[in-house]
Amino acid sequence: MSRLLTAWRLPLRLARRDAMRHRARALLVVAMIALPVLAVTTADVLIQTATVSGPESVDRRMGASQALVSVSAETNPLQQAPDPDVGYPVFSGDTTLTAPSAEQVSSLLDGARLVELRRTVGQVVTEAGRVGAQALEVDLADPVADGLVRLTSGRLPRSDGEVVVNDALVADGFRVGDRLGFEVGSEVAGGATEPVVVGTAESTTYRDLPFVAGPLGSLGLDSDEQTQWLVDGGPVTWPSVQRLNELGALVASRAVIEDPPPASEQYAEVRAQSGTDEGLLPVLALITVMVLLEVVLLAGPAFAVGARAQQRSLALMVASGGTPAQSRRVVLAGAVVLGGTGAVVGVLLGLGLARLLQPVLQGFSQTWFGPFDVPWLHLLAVAAFGLLSAFLAAAVPAVLASRQDVVAVLAGRRGDAPASRRSPVLGAVLLAAGIGASAYGALQPSGGELAIAFGAIPAVLGMILLVPAVLSLVARGAGRLPLTLRYAVRDAHRHRTRTVPAVAAVAATVAGVVALGIGLSSDQREAEETYVSSVADGVGVVRAYEQPARWDALRGAVEREAPGVQVVVQQGLTDSDGGYTSVQRPEGAGFISAGSALGSMVLVSDGPLPPGLVGLSDADARRAEQALGDGRSVVFTGPGVRVDDGEATVVRSTFDEQTGQDQTLARVTLPATYLPLSDPYDGPSAILTPAAAAELGQEPSVVSLLVTGGLDGDQEDTVQEALKGVDPSASIYVERGFQPESDALIAQLVLLGLGGVLMLGGTLTATFLALSDARPDLATLAAVGASPRTRRGVAAAYALVVGGIGSVLGALVGSIPGVAVTWPLTSSPGFGGGGPTGPFLDVPWLMLLALVVALPVLTALVVGASARSRLPLVSRLD
Amino acid sequence: MSGPASSPVLELRDVTRVHGEGEAAVQALRGVSFAAYAGELVAVMGPSGSGKSTLLTLAGGLDTPTSGVVSVEGVDLAGAGAVGRARMRRTSLGYVFQDFNLIPALTAAENVALPLELDGRSGREARALAREALAEVGITELADRFPDHMSGGQQQRVAIARAVVGERRLVLADEPTGALDTETGEDVLRLLRARCDAGAAGVMVTHEARHAAWADRVVFLRDGVVVDETGADHVESLADATAQR
Ligand SMILES: Nc1ncnc2c1ncn2[C@@H]1O[C@H](COP(=O)(O)OP(=O)(O)O)[C@@H](O)[C@H]1O
Ligand SMILES: [Mg+2]
Repeated sequence: MSRLLTAWRLPLRLARRDAMRHRARALLVVAMIALPVLAVTTADVLIQTATVSGPESVDRRMGASQALVSVSAETNPLQQAPDPDVGYPVFSGDTTLTAPSAEQVSSLLDGARLVELRRTVGQVVTEAGRVGAQALEVDLADPVADGLVRLTSGRLPRSDGEVVVNDALVADGFRVGDRLGFEVGSEVAGGATEPVVVGTAESTTYRDLPFVAGPLGSLGLDSDEQTQWLVDGGPVTWPSVQRLNELGALVASRAVIEDPPPASEQYAEVRAQSGTDEGLLPVLALITVMVLLEVVLLAGPAFAVGARAQQRSLALMVASGGTPAQSRRVVLAGAVVLGGTGAVVGVLLGLGLARLLQPVLQGFSQTWFGPFDVPWLHLLAVAAFGLLSAFLAAAVPAVLASRQDVVAVLAGRRGDAPASRRSPVLGAVLLAAGIGASAYGALQPSGGELAIAFGAIPAVLGMILLVPAVLSLVARGAGRLPLTLRYAVRDAHRHRTRTVPAVAAVAATVAGVVALGIGLSSDQREAEETYVSSVADGVGVVRAYEQPARWDALRGAVEREAPGVQVVVQQGLTDSDGGYTSVQRPEGAGFISAGSALGSMVLVSDGPLPPGLVGLSDADARRAEQALGDGRSVVFTGPGVRVDDGEATVVRSTFDEQTGQDQTLARVTLPATYLPLSDPYDGPSAILTPAAAAELGQEPSVVSLLVTGGLDGDQEDTVQEALKGVDPSASIYVERGFQPESDALIAQLVLLGLGGVLMLGGTLTATFLALSDARPDLATLAAVGASPRTRRGVAAAYALVVGGIGSVLGALVGSIPGVAVTWPLTSSPGFGGGGPTGPFLDVPWLMLLALVVALPVLTALVVGASARSRLPLVSRLD
Repeated sequence: MSGPASSPVLELRDVTRVHGEGEAAVQALRGVSFAAYAGELVAVMGPSGSGKSTLLTLAGGLDTPTSGVVSVEGVDLAGAGAVGRARMRRTSLGYVFQDFNLIPALTAAENVALPLELDGRSGREARALAREALAEVGITELADRFPDHMSGGQQQRVAIARAVVGERRLVLADEPTGALDTETGEDVLRLLRARCDAGAAGVMVTHEARHAAWADRVVFLRDGVVVDETGADHVESLADATAQR
């Protein structure tokens, strides 16, 4: 240990001083290490904070009690995880038990007092209609309930005629003193429970979901299916939990959740089920490798130039008896100092940023976050990652520095090692392997994404190894370029140790952006191409599931809230009496439907077609109306399937529970016109004439209200609430066609922005470093009369070379996994034989153009504008 | 002039050094034999490109000869291997170059202590020895200064201190006064002279005959061959001749 310290003492001192002497370069590296560390730290802390872990959730689940015991009306002996909310309990199916009584439970818990608690989701009756609300019934004044709610004004309920509501309901107009109508499920309570609001209180779980709480009976919740108790007594141990499990009770015990029993004492079968998410690990590994690669590439040039600026110092060290290992250590010590600083700074700033963002993020969440959670072990790993990336970035410059020609450096000459001849070959091999993996992944029937993603690693590494070859190719063709560009190209080629990582960093970034971009936009394309409208655009469908539905009232609500729209009452056959109607088609008519959007598979009409019916050509629509008018029923066939007019058999049947077989109630054969539906799977199966329905013995009833006349989004919301007010089971759906997800566009913009920042970062570093390296050359240029603007020109040209070559290479390499991933991503089996099946490929050309042309040019302009225009007059190395 | 009876600190026997290959090959040294003994300062003179620097890099083990033998304190440098040569530079010989001799990120004392620290000596011991060496060249007060806050002459003194710190007995100086004004240059030469008088062997490349006057012997190189070797007396007259000019 002390030998290790001795060996690193001098290198670390040199590195520290070097960082202080070259602050700009040091800051650059620190920033490049710190930024990813910061981002990961912030994300990690926020995720940990937003996630409410078992122990953190204990208070909000069971208040101040020792445990929450749940029993179902009919149950079996069960095995549960220490925290019953993790995974699923395993029931043994042999013996069905009746729910244990409170006495039984209490006696197993040393006679602990049990306080019953009921929770459910119900509906609060508002002025405009109904809104869903979380409901809690428990004696809030009981000390064991402490922590379930937080009283914010007024007082806690004292009788079962009183409740407290949260701010979300206050926003709906409820005030202290108001009566509150509450319904469970769709049972309209009809004024049975109309408790008075006596205060406002927030749930410790739900933040902005409507919430109401009161004592048992205040909201009319029942415990028919499940009974829950808070346990007021001593800590509930794991053996007690297991004994209760044998009675069929599920137990969330404070003591057990906070200090779970060792794995050996847990139920093996339950443990086996709650394994970690295995699919996540490779993805995480992939992201880690890619980020590591990116950081290494971005920081690499800075270390290369740092090592070059130190070359005289290193040569002097060798002259004083230093060994190659000691030279390497000096460069690596730079990584330790800068990487360490970056890691620490990144973690600290990340913590600060997370603290700042916590309330912002909480504002987007419906439930309360846990306490500010700093996962130190994770952060240690993240910091180590930062350090590691710096170390890797310094590795190549360190090795090169230890191999430099000391005599040449001492004599004031430069000595760059010649380019390797093997690396381009290896690069081509790796690139081919990457392409192979992509192709393999694309051809897999499922799960090919992983192969493609991992194939991206050798592809990018191979590309990096090919960068020198590309540089020399470009340099060879540079003869006709203007001076500044020619100089930039040749200089970039000559100083490969700093150019290659910079170009590679840009290329890796662009590759990632292009791959994700192609994947994203192809995914969108698939969504767009495979989108099938249920009804025509702009048409709204009102449906109600509770029978008998109050259609007149529902229609009134629509017309009241959205004056100016037309409402058509659609008739059809329902299965409310337990019977259902099926239409038998000729062989090969190929009709598959997932259920009609119009309220019933079998509609009834004496002429007019339902407004909004999609998939019928104009000519066919006319034929349909004609047929219905003539007393012929219309039966739909699959896409493009033409069947001559003739007869159809319609069967009314019912399912007999006793025999387990269908029982035919009526069977009629009708004159029918067959017409194909192009998008059958949300369409009706047939439209019968009223006469045909009568023949079946069925009275047509209203199955939906079809609203035309263009409901906008706001109207849709108010109509929705009004419908709920009439009937909680009623709802309206308005077809708006394919809506490109704004998320996808935002994701593309974020990608582009991120790519831009990284490209700017990579290019700026490389250019800035190249300029400080090029001082002697610039001095020579000045001596032969170059104008001061030349420096800017060289800077811009250099940025253009790095950014341009990098983004072209990156776009090429990134398009490989990008295109490949569209196979597993966007191939769909297709429904009902119709519809496109993919794969869909959509190359976001605009984004590509922005990346390959606009960004490099923009970067070059920025670099040119920000470079100092003064030419150096002396040409000395440090 | 020290007698050849005692064994030489530095000895080159029929040393050749060819740089490059084929048509681009340059014969920097062709069959040079040469020795330096404890207590003497040898000046190496010759026109530019005659092989003076090559001779010093070979003597210091920074480079190895194409043929012939270079030995320091009786150790064949080629046989010592790279690690052995590095150790020799830490313990047996020291370099002084024309300029930019010091590591800018280290203080004067730290620069002097460099060979000792590289050798794994404790920090305290290395610093103590470095201060002694700085005292010998008369700039103790500059110990904690960084090179950019020192004059050229001061920097060369520090470089000499570094070249002699510890028990090292061979000082190799390549035009140590080349970047200094006359007076400062004289000071530096005086220090080198004193170090040799105290028992070290010194080899100094110089352009100027006036500087050669400080040496016990002068070796003339031309096109990689020793063309002349003069004793101290001749050196004196040489110096007079230049002084008259
Ligand atoms: N690394 C090298 N590669 C090729 N030629 C070299 C190298 N080092 C020195 N030379 C050549 O060897 C000859 C002697 O050089 P040098 O020892 O530096 O001479 P001096 O120091 O006397 O000026 C010169 O012609 C020089 O160009
Ligand atoms: Mg020379």
